Amino acid sequence: MSFDFLWQGMGVALMPQNLLIGLVGCFLGTIIGCLPAIGPINGIALLLPIAYTSGLPAESALILLAAVYYGAEYGGRISSILLNVPGDAGAVMTAVDGYPMARRGEAAKALAISGISSFYGGMIAVIAMTFLAVPLSWLAIKFGPAEYFVLMVFAFATLGSMVGHEPVKTLLGCVLGLMLTTIGLDATSGAYRFTFDQPELHDGIEFIILVIGLFSISEVLLMLESQVKGTLKPLAVTGSYPSWAEIRYIWWPSVRATVIGFIIGVLPGTGASVASAVSYTTEKRLSDKDGTFGKGDIRGLAAPEAANNAAATGAFVPMLTLGVPGSGTTAVMLGALMLYNIQPGPQLFVEQPKLVGGLIASMYIGNILLLIMNLPMVQVFARMLLMPNWILIPGITALSILGVYTAYASVMSVLIMFGIGIIGYLLRKLGFDMAPIVLGFVLGKVMEVNFRNALALSGGEFGIFFSSTLSIILWIMAIAIVLVPIWLRRRQAARAAAGQPA
Amino acid sequence: MSDLAQRQRRIGRIAAGVLMAFAVFYGVFGLMIEYSFSSDPIGPRGFPAGLAVALFALGAWYWLVPGSTEEWPGQEGRIAALTFLVVSAACVLAMDWIGFVPAMLVLMTAIARLFGANWTLALVNGAGQALLWWLLFGPLLGGTLPKGPLGF
Repeated sequence: MSFDFLWQGMGVALMPQNLLIGLVGCFLGTIIGCLPAIGPINGIALLLPIAYTSGLPAESALILLAAVYYGAEYGGRISSILLNVPGDAGAVMTAVDGYPMARRGEAAKALAISGISSFYGGMIAVIAMTFLAVPLSWLAIKFGPAEYFVLMVFAFATLGSMVGHEPVKTLLGCVLGLMLTTIGLDATSGAYRFTFDQPELHDGIEFIILVIGLFSISEVLLMLESQVKGTLKPLAVTGSYPSWAEIRYIWWPSVRATVIGFIIGVLPGTGASVASAVSYTTEKRLSDKDGTFGKGDIRGLAAPEAANNAAATGAFVPMLTLGVPGSGTTAVMLGALMLYNIQPGPQLFVEQPKLVGGLIASMYIGNILLLIMNLPMVQVFARMLLMPNWILIPGITALSILGVYTAYASVMSVLIMFGIGIIGYLLRKLGFDMAPIVLGFVLGKVMEVNFRNALALSGGEFGIFFSSTLSIILWIMAIAIVLVPIWLRRRQAARAAAGQPA
Repeated sequence: MSDLAQRQRRIGRIAAGVLMAFAVFYGVFGLMIEYSFSSDPIGPRGFPAGLAVALFALGAWYWLVPGSTEEWPGQEGRIAALTFLVVSAACVLAMDWIGFVPAMLVLMTAIARLFGANWTLALVNGAGQALLWWLLFGPLLGGTLPKGPLGF
């Protein structure tokens, strides 16, 4: 395959007009991303008609929309780290290690680390897209319901890493998360499950309602308890940036997460939330020897951030090469291509080299712009935490309410969020971790739907789950991720025992 | 066993009991899901039934090994949490009637008070935040916020 499209695209992306558009898109995306109420999909949907009616050429419009998209993936981390309120779905796992860092005064470092890992993830994924977009598009076609189901089994297998000293609580959290996915309309049979005739429950529990309730409202309740006890102190914020050693330290976790994120991003219907969840659990499984994940480990922060940026980029692959959107946001962008009478497909790289090349080249530039834009802002954002609690915590509550209300325009949804917040608070007091609940929720829906679709296709034959090479590879990976660490631990223990003097 | 450990064990067991009861409730309602047609052999009841069994079994495990819990709040803490939740729910329910800004003014002021601000600071904070969020999510970002009789 010729890479002429990239050189032509560089010419397009480096035009002053497109550079400015990219910069504006990155800035807007960062702001949109850090507000929990507005995800990239809303931002793009708002900007699309403006871009079209203002007469922007197709490549400029696409550069603007793409910049908003990956800018939002950078921005989502800010409120996750500072306030424990995920800015978007992909930033949920960022809070798991980012927020504890902020609580111990390392907000600036956490923001910088996550910005750098976002850059790693974004850049490596763009390079992968440049060279592998067309060859990888087969992956999106090869994944049928059976393969998706086995992929989810693999994702659950990585969950073994979340099992701490009280495994029953991790497993219970996971089952509770799975149960929440069964609320609402069952797409396969058209039956309403656990809706109790409440129209607000027909669409099920929305992801954003769950995470804001579990993370943000329960956190406010915990802080209120500390306030009453007199143990809630204003946070200290050190101005320290990560050292070079730390930047190098997060390289391999970021690379691993990028590979996972990019592949998951390429698969339609999965998205950044699955990518960041799977990359976090995988990294924890591989690296968390001292049990520091979940307590502010920079690798636990870097992995999901790199993954969600890589997934955002990966989602462009099926959109451009097959016309199949990899995420909700790329579905809106597909609409933008249609508006300009552009038909996506493998020939797009040949027929529209300036458009595709311009988009890809703008991503290289956009990632650099975002890093340059984000690093100096780290101190400014971190200083938000110096506000007195009587300003900060009402602000967190307002953002939580707005995040749900503006997305669903429903008072009942906000009340459900508070209800979930109370349950989250009680579970946290009981020693439950919130991450397994979120992971169960993220993976559960995809798992059930694909399990049942696969059985519908096979007429009830379970052999379909072992019928393709891809499925078998995924089964082997799932088994390996469970067994290899156990084998390694035993071998290490045996060696240690052998090395001890008698 | 110390008093604290016994108390934690009791709380853990109560939680396990609640989870097992919930598993029964969820399983029974899961088996009552009505549907006329399903293209797959599992149907809409299968997954919930499996989850109910899993939750019950894990609940039983949790009952046997309740583990530890964090320290629970005293009466003052419980009253503060209840105040926060009641005021929040009341303000959210009132938003459609009185409008976004007045409802948020009350809520922001109340939370600021709970977090130690005096009345003057709490009111200034309440008014400032109510207006800030309304401006940002309403006119600036084009979101739809409840209007109320005053129009905001």
